[in-house]
Amino acid sequence: MKYILMMNSRKTGDEPLRGWSKQDFQAHCAFLMALNRELRESGEFVSTEGLAFPDQAKLVRAGKVGMPITDGVFPESKEFLASYCIVDVETPERAYAIAARGGARTRSYAA
Amino acid sequence: MKYILMMTGTKADFDWYTKWPKKDLEAQFAFMHAFNKELKDSGAFVAAEGLAFPDQAKIVRAGKNGEPITDGVFPESKEFLAGYWIVDVESADEAYKIAARASAAPHPPRNGPGGTEDNQPIEVRQVMSGPPEELLR
Repeated sequence: MKYILMMNSRKTGDEPLRGWSKQDFQAHCAFLMALNRELRESGEFVSTEGLAFPDQAKLVRAGKVGMPITDGVFPESKEFLASYCIVDVETPERAYAIAARGGARTRSYAA
Repeated sequence: MKYILMMTGTKADFDWYTKWPKKDLEAQFAFMHAFNKELKDSGAFVAAEGLAFPDQAKIVRAGKNGEPITDGVFPESKEFLAGYWIVDVESADEAYKIAARASAAPHPPRNGPGGTEDNQPIEVRQVMSGPPEELLR
């Protein structure tokens, strides 16, 4: 079964990664690369992507003749997807265990 | 450049979707199938996924010794990712044009007969290839 693990953030100007020291950023990247490598080796890795910051996001609707109408204004409270990882695992519990490992690192930075 | 096109909805939107008549669902599936095929034929298609309904979602945090703590209760107002496409295109404008097409996917009137015909908003954002090189050195 495939599960998607999503990391969300709010548009605060102080999103995760932004304003971190280079040392913290490198530690974060090293952790994620090691986790991704481990998931590849176990055969559970499907894909992972990191997204641009929410200030780059546009909301697009089709106009009357199908032309795109873009809007870049979002409420501060809105949650944005920051990154995700898709894993292929035997049980939901295994997906939760992987999510907890990713989350543990994030939380230590948030503290 | 890769862009992600995201369809999101609140719990009310998902509840509405479960009430679509069969012919509307069939029209939507046919549209998505043709749309994805066209993206594949043009070489812009990278990936597309549809997610389980939000009542299946869990928020997971690591507990004291790293074991997962799951929580399944969310506020009514929260927006959930329903599905996404990733496309590889030359410019943001190309991605917006593709998003506008997805936005115009067929659907029954919102809030039942006589409801609005609003098109689905699609959030578009670039997908990063990796962390900035200078920060990894």
